[in-house]
Amino acid sequence: MTLTEGLVAPWAEWQETYQDGQRLLEAGTYALTEGAVAAGLGVFAGYPITPATDIAEYMSKRLPQIDGFYLQAEDELAGMHMCAGASLGGQKVMTATSGPGFTLMHDAYGWAIVNEIPVVVVDAMRVGPVSGITGAPGQGEFYVSRYCSHGGNIETIVLSPNSVQETFWLTIDAFNLAERFRTVVTVLTDQVISDMSEDLFLPGDYGDLADIVVPRRHNLEMPFFPGNNSDIDLAPNVIGEGTGVCVSPYTHTEEGYDIEDMEAQWAQTFRLINKIRHHKEEILRYEAIGLEDAEVVAVAYGATSRTVKTAVEEARRQGVKAGFLRLISLWPFPDELLEMDLLYLVCELNYDGQLVREVMRAAPDKKKVHFMGKSGEMHTVAEVCEALQSVNKDQKMPEQPFIWTEVR
Amino acid sequence: MNKLAKKYLRPELVPTKACQGCAIGSIEHWLLQAIDESGLKLEDVIFGAGIGCVGRQTFATWGGDNFGATHGRALAVATGLKVARPDKQIMLVVGDGDASSIGASHLVHAARRNVGVTVICEDNMGYESTGGQFSPTTPEGYVTNSSPYGMVEQSFDPCDLVIAAGATFVAETTAVQWRQTVKIVKMALANDGFSFVHIRFPCVQNFGASALGSRDPLYNMEWIHDHTKGRTDDGEETDFAWTTGIKHDASNSRPEYSKVLRDLNTRVRADMDAPA
Amino acid sequence: MGGRAIPLFKAEKTQVTKNVGIWDVELAEDDCKACGFCSNICPVDVFASREVPNRLGWFSVYVKHEQNCFGCMLCFQICPDFCIDVTAKTRPAAKPGKEKIS
Repeated sequence: MTLTEGLVAPWAEWQETYQDGQRLLEAGTYALTEGAVAAGLGVFAGYPITPATDIAEYMSKRLPQIDGFYLQAEDELAGMHMCAGASLGGQKVMTATSGPGFTLMHDAYGWAIVNEIPVVVVDAMRVGPVSGITGAPGQGEFYVSRYCSHGGNIETIVLSPNSVQETFWLTIDAFNLAERFRTVVTVLTDQVISDMSEDLFLPGDYGDLADIVVPRRHNLEMPFFPGNNSDIDLAPNVIGEGTGVCVSPYTHTEEGYDIEDMEAQWAQTFRLINKIRHHKEEILRYEAIGLEDAEVVAVAYGATSRTVKTAVEEARRQGVKAGFLRLISLWPFPDELLEMDLLYLVCELNYDGQLVREVMRAAPDKKKVHFMGKSGEMHTVAEVCEALQSVNKDQKMPEQPFIWTEVR
Repeated sequence: MNKLAKKYLRPELVPTKACQGCAIGSIEHWLLQAIDESGLKLEDVIFGAGIGCVGRQTFATWGGDNFGATHGRALAVATGLKVARPDKQIMLVVGDGDASSIGASHLVHAARRNVGVTVICEDNMGYESTGGQFSPTTPEGYVTNSSPYGMVEQSFDPCDLVIAAGATFVAETTAVQWRQTVKIVKMALANDGFSFVHIRFPCVQNFGASALGSRDPLYNMEWIHDHTKGRTDDGEETDFAWTTGIKHDASNSRPEYSKVLRDLNTRVRADMDAPA
Repeated sequence: MGGRAIPLFKAEKTQVTKNVGIWDVELAEDDCKACGFCSNICPVDVFASREVPNRLGWFSVYVKHEQNCFGCMLCFQICPDFCIDVTAKTRPAAKPGKEKIS
């Protein structure tokens, strides 16, 4: 696949279309709240946790203003279940958390995914494991966001913004994908992107966005869960309209009731996995710079991508044919972006190496994929620039303090 | 199947998957009587079930909209659902493990918030679906699959938990108190708030075998009968007796959760519209 | 402490003459799991057990002496499988000649 230069995402066009509004200086959490409101959010159910707490507070203030509901749950797993319940009742829903709360949601994730319930979940990642360093950004839930529930047999949609402005548009996009695919969409942001304040443009009247917001519809007839079917843009199911729908935690029939044979398991899994895999092109979002003639490509997402992009530009100035690939849709993993036989430098905010493993798997030659892991602080421009030079010249990573390069 | 079942249940699930001699079906029959006598139709009630014998054997029986949550989480789902659908009666059928063990947190907070649901906690005093391990309501000293030397933990009554948390209607009956249960469930449905009905019933296969030494359905039901009255047919006192009846009735005395949120919105939006 | 309690299950059946013969007792034998609750809770002699198993493999209970039923409804209440209906038989019309002619 030939990569498009620049930003490939719906908001590349949205930003040009919507120019009437106001410019503010606000945090990512604020942008996220407004994005959800613009998308038609009805219920937020969550539990405060750094750095997502501000989202809960904004929601508690904002939702009553628009006749929506803020539910402060007793813990994260309750919050996610409440979201699923409210979504089944016909509302657009969101919850927001960080790593420690994210892992508590696994049971609820599976329930929502298997029952095709649209939910948007925000995970503002920080350093781990466990409570880790509360105020530092991390990227340790890359795999967890894909394998967000037990039992396998699912696919997931995960997006990651890298600026406050992008957070606004991407949140609307996340809600749209949740409606179209009838699934849980995870917004994997991090402590930097959610806490920092930046330029934020907000459209003056969210009603103007009607053309780009996918509205909630109700499915009133069988099949509630079409087996062996990978269609998208089906209306979500609803409880309370007398359709006789059943929503259960078991492998289910097309009505939703439990069934224990292999044909049913296949039919259900065909739908859950292929509705996403067969429509990958609807989910693919990325930003690519300088790939036409690049010899070494820096790959990153989220906060990391900010300094990495600057480093790529600096490396170019120093004569290195560096390219920049920022992943915005993390899952389904965009294998098609890594078909070129080049050197890759994967920068991520963890030491165990997660994104790098996927890049190694997808790239033509895994020996040409290099890992630059950092944890506790962001990669500096100087560090990344030095690494790009070293990888390009000697095909190996330089010795740098507190930079992890090993992938085993 | 009888007329009530024809009116409210799915024919594929009659008879239920419950064991011979299990009272889960009897209790569900009383729920149907209460629903019918309250004038409720199929589309007025949303059924939710937990995991475990009570959840599992009741799940998929209801003919209208229904859900089966993961273990212990029916109340969390119901809280969100009630906010989105405040006009529906939500009836949750959960066991002692689902409600007071793994689901205890959600039970407490749903009661505190006065979420408008009717929780039918059917208590067979153990985790029977997984083979009969003890639960928070197993009588102390009793032998079960995971207390082969007798249960050493203290047990508790989930009624006390929800009353302390703020439930507005709490009552307890047993599997031999059919008309009382129907009457109590009708009162529970009439409460626009958190209603908790705790019903003790026998488990013939596991509890009966390990704790009572018999899998005879009649013997197990008589054990329930004796412990409801506090004495055996011969007039002997039993080792303990349950306190049954209405334990707390503050029905409709404080606003239901989704109403509280809606009133908040009305107030906030009125302030926004009010001139400066 | 106190005297004998009324037993739940009555092995010895009694004979009741009041309100008998006016009840339709229906038992869905295909759904019966032969727990024995109905036949043992019934104070009178209404039920008996089949000698061939039903489609579920149980020796189902059946209504042998409907005319003995006096409508206490205990069987209807206790059955765990929605098998039983006990309803009053429709009343026959009033005898001719008893209507007032205005």
